[in-house]
Amino acid sequence: MGRDLPFLIPEILLSLAVVAMLIAEMVRMARLALWFGLAGLAVATLATLPLLTADTTVFGGTYRIDLLSGWAKLILLPGTAMALLLARAEIAGQQREGSVYSLLCLVTLGALMLAGSGDMMLLVLGVVLTGLGSFALVAYPRDDAATEAGMKYLVFGAVTGSVMIYGLTFWFGGAGSTLFSDLGALEDKPLIAIAGLTAVIVGLGYKASLVPFHFWAPDAYDGAPVSVAAYLSVITKVAALFAFAQVLRDLPVESNWPLVIAMISAVTMTYGYLTALVQTNLVRLIAYSSIAQTGYFLMGIVALGTSAFAIPGLIVLGAAYVAMNLGAFAIILLAGRGLDDIRGFGRRRPAAGVAMVVFLLSLTGIPPLFGFVGKVYLFGAAIDAGYLWLAVIGILNSVLALGVYLRIVVPMYQSAPEATKSFDKPSPRALTAVIGVTAVLTLCMGLLAGLLPG
Amino acid sequence: MPLLTIATFLPILGGLALIALPVRSARVAHGLSITVTGLVFLITLAIWSRGIVPGGFAQVEEIAWIPAIGAAYRLGLDGLSLPLVLLTSLLFLLSAIYSARISERVPSYVVLMLMLETASLGSFMALDGLLFYVFFEVSLVGMYFMIAGWGYEDRQRAALMFFLYTLLGSLPLLLAIIGLYLSSGTFDMRAWIDAPPLAGLGAMLALIAMLFTFAVKIPAFPVHTWLPAAHVQAPTAGSVILAGVMLKFGTYGLVRFALQMTPETFTRAGVVILAFGVFSALYGAFAALAQSDLKKMIAYTSVNHMGYVVMGVAVAALASDPAIRVVALDGAALQMISHGLVTGALFFLVGMLQDRAHIRDMGDFGGLLGRVPWLGWAFVVSAFASLGLPGLAHFPAEFQIFLATLNTQPWAVVAIIAIVVTAGLYLRAIAAVFLGEPNEKWAAMPDLGRREMLVIVPLLFLTVLVGVAPSWLLNMIHTTMASLSF
Repeated sequence: MGRDLPFLIPEILLSLAVVAMLIAEMVRMARLALWFGLAGLAVATLATLPLLTADTTVFGGTYRIDLLSGWAKLILLPGTAMALLLARAEIAGQQREGSVYSLLCLVTLGALMLAGSGDMMLLVLGVVLTGLGSFALVAYPRDDAATEAGMKYLVFGAVTGSVMIYGLTFWFGGAGSTLFSDLGALEDKPLIAIAGLTAVIVGLGYKASLVPFHFWAPDAYDGAPVSVAAYLSVITKVAALFAFAQVLRDLPVESNWPLVIAMISAVTMTYGYLTALVQTNLVRLIAYSSIAQTGYFLMGIVALGTSAFAIPGLIVLGAAYVAMNLGAFAIILLAGRGLDDIRGFGRRRPAAGVAMVVFLLSLTGIPPLFGFVGKVYLFGAAIDAGYLWLAVIGILNSVLALGVYLRIVVPMYQSAPEATKSFDKPSPRALTAVIGVTAVLTLCMGLLAGLLPG
Repeated sequence: MPLLTIATFLPILGGLALIALPVRSARVAHGLSITVTGLVFLITLAIWSRGIVPGGFAQVEEIAWIPAIGAAYRLGLDGLSLPLVLLTSLLFLLSAIYSARISERVPSYVVLMLMLETASLGSFMALDGLLFYVFFEVSLVGMYFMIAGWGYEDRQRAALMFFLYTLLGSLPLLLAIIGLYLSSGTFDMRAWIDAPPLAGLGAMLALIAMLFTFAVKIPAFPVHTWLPAAHVQAPTAGSVILAGVMLKFGTYGLVRFALQMTPETFTRAGVVILAFGVFSALYGAFAALAQSDLKKMIAYTSVNHMGYVVMGVAVAALASDPAIRVVALDGAALQMISHGLVTGALFFLVGMLQDRAHIRDMGDFGGLLGRVPWLGWAFVVSAFASLGLPGLAHFPAEFQIFLATLNTQPWAVVAIIAIVVTAGLYLRAIAAVFLGEPNEKWAAMPDLGRREMLVIVPLLFLTVLVGVAPSWLLNMIHTTMASLSF
């Protein structure tokens, strides 16, 4: 136990920060809560750095301190800080402002647990912790749309969560242990392996919004504040995908699970982009594009264990995705939710317009932007694992993706109708900071990709 | 001094400097654009003077980039890429001079143009598969915004079609590059060329992927349909860069990637590739014959001329006699340069005509030779060059290609019909626009101005020089082609 604690410093720091934030909120000092949150996230990020090279487990193998969970912290903690700033720009001065900040940090704590889980119990705990906070965040505005979205999200979460717990009992029964590292014992029990796998796909697939468990996502994103949508589209999703990788890493391939995941991957990206093509609401468009992006992550999960590029690919695309998707949501926050709202945006706000083009091209996977590097890794991983057809589908979907994102770029550079609301109002400093940081990361990290794990 | 790196990144740095400048008037932007492209041209001349070496790449510059996966920043040159680099820097300089008339959103235009120059030079000089792909794709983005922002009537549709089409075209190349990487463990193109890592089915799949990519870019029948739309709608300088420089990515890649990295499979597929080349050449010529829009007509003759390049490369792969093989490759490489010079000039001239008349349908002109003799004679010379008249740039190239073809696959010489058709269509265009009854509507049309002369005269001079005395250029190409091992 004494040995374990130093490995948990980031998590402990974040918990302390959340406690401090709750206290600040109790005395109605939302700004202070924000600062506690930002400081806690920053310190926790720094505390992660020395742990990055560690490869061990704590608490009897139930919590993993490895490359994936280390980078998860390095990606999710700063990502949460960005989301806090977005939230600040959107809801500053509103009631219960501080509780949003605390909830965001609390959900991130659950996300870290997901990304490091080495045990079924911990996985369930992570799913519940991220779930409970997210329901409240989605329903925050207390209007009809938000309440409906929160309700949908909750019901969906409750059902899929229970299915997952039920299925995990099969694994427990078959393997005789709740540790994922003992899943190797299922080698000669393919039926049990498949029963548990199905349940995990349902539970985590819901969290990561894989087709066909994605129905909640567009409604929840659209009903929630934009900043919360941005947060849910990156932090809980990436955490769930990393958790997926942690679980499946140890599952014997005899049950042929990579093929199942590959098929889900193909369906998810194709469905996501096809549906995004007909959206007229920017938040929903990006919501469907995020569903499609999940499909690309799954290419890495397919190749787990067979390709050395799988884990680095997940990490690189994870980092890229957090930066570019948060950036895109930040622009939506600035420009408005409708596809018509963005007409002329690029001409009126050249810098923000260029940033949006960078985010969208990076989401498409155009080099030398950050998203491209992640996709190269994952295409490589898929081909390496013998899934050339999946890489081909991924590539065809990139073309579809371009069509989707150009639907935003083209009106941005058309001349704006006179009557539009002014883009000229000064944007909050927090928002400018988020756009600036995410744009620079998206633009430069592609070239500095050598710094990332390989 | 790392001249290759400086030449590649000077344009984009110039663009960034322009963004940072407090004063961004049209004058400043155009001045900066001309200065930067002029400097880059001088640097490429210096690179030329440093020379190349037979059998391999010269002036290599290398820095680690993503060491974990063996990708590095690697630039270098050989006799195939150096002429293309010179052509690129020249055409960008001339485009910058020509573009000085643009007055709409000039800083953005200049930044895009400079970004395109970086991408184009980088594509020709990259020796790293991943780096090549990066430059290759950046050029698409730049050209998309160029067409969408400064094109003519139907530019949005044309730009969208161009971007989707060429992205769909280029992504298979990424698969091929990843395939080459996974079987060799490095992205170093020199390693891929020295010891082609793929064999059997893998090589066949990679070759098909690469051929698809480059066929879209070249463009060869049946994936050429984006070209007329993009060319007609693009601004003049965009057309010049698209035809003069970016189509060469396709033929350059055909030699550099397809031929050099999967040589055995390429030879096996040689007859099919040759057939596509022949058909493209014929198709391009006949399609051009059917056009009355001058710009569209020239766009289709590009399909025709690039078809000859494909033929040359395919013949080189099929030829068993090494001497014939070199003749074919020399011809193909020279054809790329000639096409850049001649078609560049033609697009400039049609652009100048359009600047004056705001239309490009040849039926609406007539008798212009007397009205604007400089423009007229420049067009006549370029058109004669384009149809392959001896003494002008295309002749030595096409002569070598047909010579090698006759020697190796005599049936393919049927493509020579295309030359007759091209001759017919150019004579028709000259007759319609510059000869015959002067159309009173254009009585006040001014002849070429000083800026326009500055753009056209170098191209005409080079067209004649390459036609009459091509040895200075051919020697450069020959150095590499004679030692090409595949």
